[in-house]
Amino acid sequence: MLQPLVQNIVYGILIGALYGLAAVGLSLVFGVSKFLNVSHGELLMLGGYASFWIFKLLKVDPFVSIPLTIIFLLLIGFILYRLIFSRLIKLEVEKKIQNSLLVGFGLSTILQNIALRLWTADDRSITTAYSGLSFELAGIRFPAVRLISLGIAIVALISLQIFLKKTFTGKAIRATVEDWQSASLMGINIHQVYLLAFMLGCAMAGVAGTLVSICYSIDPSMGLNWTLKSMVVMVLGGLGSMVGTFVGGIILGVTESATAFFIGGNYRLIAGLLLFLIILIFRPQGLFGTKEGDK
Amino acid sequence: MKTKFGVALVIMLLVSLMATSCAPQAVETETPVVTEAPATEAPAAETEAPATEEATYPPAPEFIDVGSSISLTGNFGSLGNLILPGYQIAIEHINADGGVFVKEYNKKIPLRLTYYDDESDPTKAVTKMETLFSEHELTAYLGGGGSSMHAASIPIAEKNKVPYLGISFALYKIHQQGYKYLFSPFPKSPNQTEDVFKILNEAIPEGERPTKVAVFAYNDDWGKEWGDLVKLRAPEYGYEIVVYEENPVGVNDWTAAIQKAKAAGADMLLTLPVFPDGSGMFKTMAELGWTPKFSLVIRAPEGVNWGESLGKIGDYVTIFPGWHYGAKFEGVDKLNARYEELYGRPADLLTGPAYACVQILAQAIEKAGTLDRDVIRDTIAAGEFDTVIGPVTFNPDGTGNVLDPLIQWQNGKMELVWPAEHATAPLIYPAPAFEDR
Amino acid sequence: MKKNQTLLIAFIFVIVLAVIPLFIKKDNLLTYLCMILLYISLASSWNILGGYTGQVSLGHSAFFGLGALGTRLLWFAGWNVILAMLVGGIIAIVFALLIGSPAFKLRGAYFTIGTLALGQILFATVGNIFPQISSLPVQDLQSYTLVSRYYLFLAIALLTVLVAYLIANSRLGLGMMAVREQEDAAESLGVNAFRHKLTALVISAFLAGLAGGAFAFFQIGYYPQYPFSPVWTLDSTMMAYIGGTGTILGPIIGAIFFVVLKEVLSLNLAEFHPTVFGILFILVVLFLPGGFMGFWKRIRAKQNKKRESAAELSHP
Repeated sequence: MLQPLVQNIVYGILIGALYGLAAVGLSLVFGVSKFLNVSHGELLMLGGYASFWIFKLLKVDPFVSIPLTIIFLLLIGFILYRLIFSRLIKLEVEKKIQNSLLVGFGLSTILQNIALRLWTADDRSITTAYSGLSFELAGIRFPAVRLISLGIAIVALISLQIFLKKTFTGKAIRATVEDWQSASLMGINIHQVYLLAFMLGCAMAGVAGTLVSICYSIDPSMGLNWTLKSMVVMVLGGLGSMVGTFVGGIILGVTESATAFFIGGNYRLIAGLLLFLIILIFRPQGLFGTKEGDK
Repeated sequence: MKTKFGVALVIMLLVSLMATSCAPQAVETETPVVTEAPATEAPAAETEAPATEEATYPPAPEFIDVGSSISLTGNFGSLGNLILPGYQIAIEHINADGGVFVKEYNKKIPLRLTYYDDESDPTKAVTKMETLFSEHELTAYLGGGGSSMHAASIPIAEKNKVPYLGISFALYKIHQQGYKYLFSPFPKSPNQTEDVFKILNEAIPEGERPTKVAVFAYNDDWGKEWGDLVKLRAPEYGYEIVVYEENPVGVNDWTAAIQKAKAAGADMLLTLPVFPDGSGMFKTMAELGWTPKFSLVIRAPEGVNWGESLGKIGDYVTIFPGWHYGAKFEGVDKLNARYEELYGRPADLLTGPAYACVQILAQAIEKAGTLDRDVIRDTIAAGEFDTVIGPVTFNPDGTGNVLDPLIQWQNGKMELVWPAEHATAPLIYPAPAFEDR
Repeated sequence: MKKNQTLLIAFIFVIVLAVIPLFIKKDNLLTYLCMILLYISLASSWNILGGYTGQVSLGHSAFFGLGALGTRLLWFAGWNVILAMLVGGIIAIVFALLIGSPAFKLRGAYFTIGTLALGQILFATVGNIFPQISSLPVQDLQSYTLVSRYYLFLAIALLTVLVAYLIANSRLGLGMMAVREQEDAAESLGVNAFRHKLTALVISAFLAGLAGGAFAFFQIGYYPQYPFSPVWTLDSTMMAYIGGTGTILGPIIGAIFFVVLKEVLSLNLAEFHPTVFGILFILVVLFLPGGFMGFWKRIRAKQNKKRESAAELSHP
C-alpha cells in the first residue's frame, strides 16, 4: 500500500512543479506591473510549439533547445510589451488590472487563431528516444523526462531568484514589486523594469510550455486551462512571492494526485480547488504573501 | 423623472412577460416556413427558352443547398478539420458530373455547401444552425464533430424538419430520443463494445487471449454509456474487468489508474481518451512499465498526429474509427487521390464517413426525385446506399448499419487489421513491452 | 428636459424591442437578439457587483449555471417555466449567501481568483453529478417557439437593467460606490461594507440566475455543466469592461458590440475572424480606456468645457 502511495506522490510533485513553473511567469508580471495577463496560457502554447517545431524540423532535443525557446519568447514579450502593454502602465492599479485583462483576452483570441492557422488544430506532443524511460529506486519508478523537467523548472526558478536578488536590475524589479512609487523616486527606470519583468514572465511561460509539450501535449486551444490553473496557483502561493508560487504548484499537484488515488479521478480538480479555498479562508493573503501583497 | 423611467420599464416588463406566456399560441400559426422556391435569376432565363419539353417542369433552383455548423477552432477543431474536407471533396466530385439529377426539375443541379465555424461552442452552433436555415433553402444539414456539438445541433435540425447527416460521435443515447431527421452512418457504442470482444475471440486462440481488462472511462455520458456496455459484454465473451477508473474529460493525468491496472495484473486496456489525455496516458504507461497485450483506444489515435507525436510509444493501439483509406469499396481510390493532392496523404479516417454522408444524401435526392425534405428523409430512412464506407442502411433510430473495421497503429502507420477481406496488415498481438520497442 | 429626453429614447427603444418579433420572421435574427439580450442581462448583473461595488468576481457563471440547472430540472419535471426560473434564481441567492462571508474576507486579486475557483468547483461538480445531455423531448420540439424565448430574454434584460438603474440612483448604490472607491473610508463614515457587498452579490446572483433560467428554457440540448463554463464569466466581464463598468449603458453597449462584432466577423471572414476580432478589441481598449462610456463621458466633459469657456468669452 505504501509503495503505490509514494509512487503517486512522486508523480504529484513532478506534475505540481510544472503547475508552479507555469504560474511563476504570471506571478512575476503581476507582482511587478499589476498586469493580469490572461493570455499567459497562450504564451505557454507558443513555447510548446517552438520546441515542437525545433524538434521536428531541426531534430534538436527539446531540452537542448530551451535557450532558443527562451530567446523566442523574450522577443515575443518585447514585441507585445512595446506594442500593447506599455500603453497601460500609466493607469491606476485597478484600471491596470482591468485593462490588462481585456487586452490579454483579445490577445489570446489572436494567438489562438494564428496558431491554429499556422499549425492546424491537431494536438502535438514531443516524444524523444528516451521518453518512457524511467529508473527504479526501492520499487518506486522515476520517469527520466519528468525528472529532467523538474530539474529544469528548479534551475529556471533559481536563476530567476539569483537574478532578482543579486543583480542591480533584479533588485530594481523587486523594489518595484514592493512599491513602485518609491522605486521610481529612487531613480529606477520603471519602464525598463516593467519591460524586463514582462519579457522574463514570457520566457518562464515558454519554458513551462516546452515541458508541457514533452510531458503532455499542446494544441492551439490549450491556453485557457493553463491560464486558469496558473492564476489559482499564483494566488495560492501568495502574490509577489515566486518561491511561494512554485510551492503552491507542488501542493496543488500532490493534492490532486492523492485525491485521484484515494477517492477517484472525478474529484481531483475539485479537491485541489477546495484546498485552495480553505487555505485562503485561513490565510487571505495566500501561503507566502504579505498583507500588502495585493495592493 | 427617475420614477417615471422606472414605471415605464416596469410596464414594459409586465407586457413582455405576458407576451412570453401567450406567445406560443399567438405565433405558431404565423411562423413562416419559407416554402416558395428562392427567386434566382438563372431559372427565369431558362423558362423563356423555347424548348417545349422543359416547359412542363418548374424552374429549378440554381443549387441544392446543404449547410454545416462545424467546429474548425476550439476543442473540437481537430475533428472538424478532418470532416470538412470529406464533405468538400464529395461535393466537388458530384458537381464535376453536373450535380444531382432531380426528376422534379428534370435537371442536374449542383450541390452547394455553406459552412460556419461554431468555435466548439454549443450556443454558437445553435445560432449558426438557425442562420443556415434562415439564409438558405436548405435540403440537408451535415454535422460537425464532437457529441456536445451534435447534441446542440440535432434538435435544431429536428425543429426545422431538415435531414441531418452526422458522423464522428459514437454516443448511442442521442438516437434514443426519437429524433426523426437524424442519420448517422457511424459505428455506435453498442457496436464498438461488442465488436472488440468478437474480434479478439476470432483472431486469437483461447489461452493466448487477454483476460483481465482495465477500463479507463470518462464521467461524461458517452464515457458512462460505453463503460456500462463494456461491463455488460465482457463477461459474455469471457473477459473479466479488474480495474474500472473514471476521470473527467481534460484531466490528462492517469497515473493513479495506471498504477491500479498494473497492480491488478490487467493485460488489456479499453479506453476512449481525447488526445491530450491519450498521449499523457501512454507516456505514463511507458514510464510506469505497464504494457497491455491489447489496447483499444478510441478517439485520441484517430489522427495522423498520434503517430507523429508519440512514435513507438503510440504503436500497437487499435481503434474503431468507422473507416480506413485501405477499405476496398468503390470510390475510395478517387477520394484518396484527391486527398493526396490536397493534403499529401491518403484520406484521413473521418474523411471517409464524411464523404459517405454526401454520397448518401445525393443518392437519396436522386431516388426521391424531389427536393422536398420530408420525402428525402423518408428515402434516406428506407434506402440502401453505396458509399466509400461500404453499403449503408439505416435503423429506425437513425443509426447506420455500417462496417466497423478495426485499425491498428503499426510502425507509425495505421493499418486496417479486421475484417480480413479488407485488411492491409495482420493484427499484431501481443503488443511488445514499451521498453523493448 | 434632459431626463425627459432620456426617458423618451429608452421608451422608444423598448417599444422597438417589444414589437421586433412581429416584423422579423427569420429565426436566426431572433436567435442573435436572444443572445444579445442574454448577454445584456449577464453583463449588467455582473456590473452590479463588479462595476458598482468594485468586487471583480470571476465566478459569475456559477450563478448563471445554478439558475439554469434549477430551472431545467423543475421545468422538465412539469413546473411552469416562470416559476421554475424564480426557484432557479433563489437557488443562486442561497449559494451567494453561503459563499458571501468567506469570499468577502478576500480582497482585490484574491477575491477575483477565489471566485474563479468557486466557479470551477461547481463546473466540475455538476459535471460529475449530471453527466447526461439534457435535451428537450422530441414531441415538445414542434411547440418550441423562439418568440416566447425572445420575450423572456427581453423581460429579464429589462428587469436587470431596471434593477441596476434603481440601485445606481439609491442610497444603497451610493454606499456600494463608496465601498468601491475606498472601503476603509466608507466604513469610517458608517457604511457597512460587508452588508453592501453581500447585497450586491445577492442581487447580482439572483439576476444571473434568472438569466440562466431563460437560457435553460432557450437551449434545446446541452450538457448541464455547460452554463457553468468559465467562458460565460469571461465573456460577460469583457462586455461590461469594454462598455464601461459602473454605468447603466456600459454593459448594454458592450454586449451589443461584442455579440454583433463577433457574428459579423465570423460570417464574413472565414478563417481569421478571431484575429480581426482580437485586434479590434485591443484597439478599443487601448484607445478608449474606461470603455465606450468612459470615452463618451470624456467627450461630454470636453464639450462642456468648451461651452463654458465660450460662455465666459461671450460674457466677459
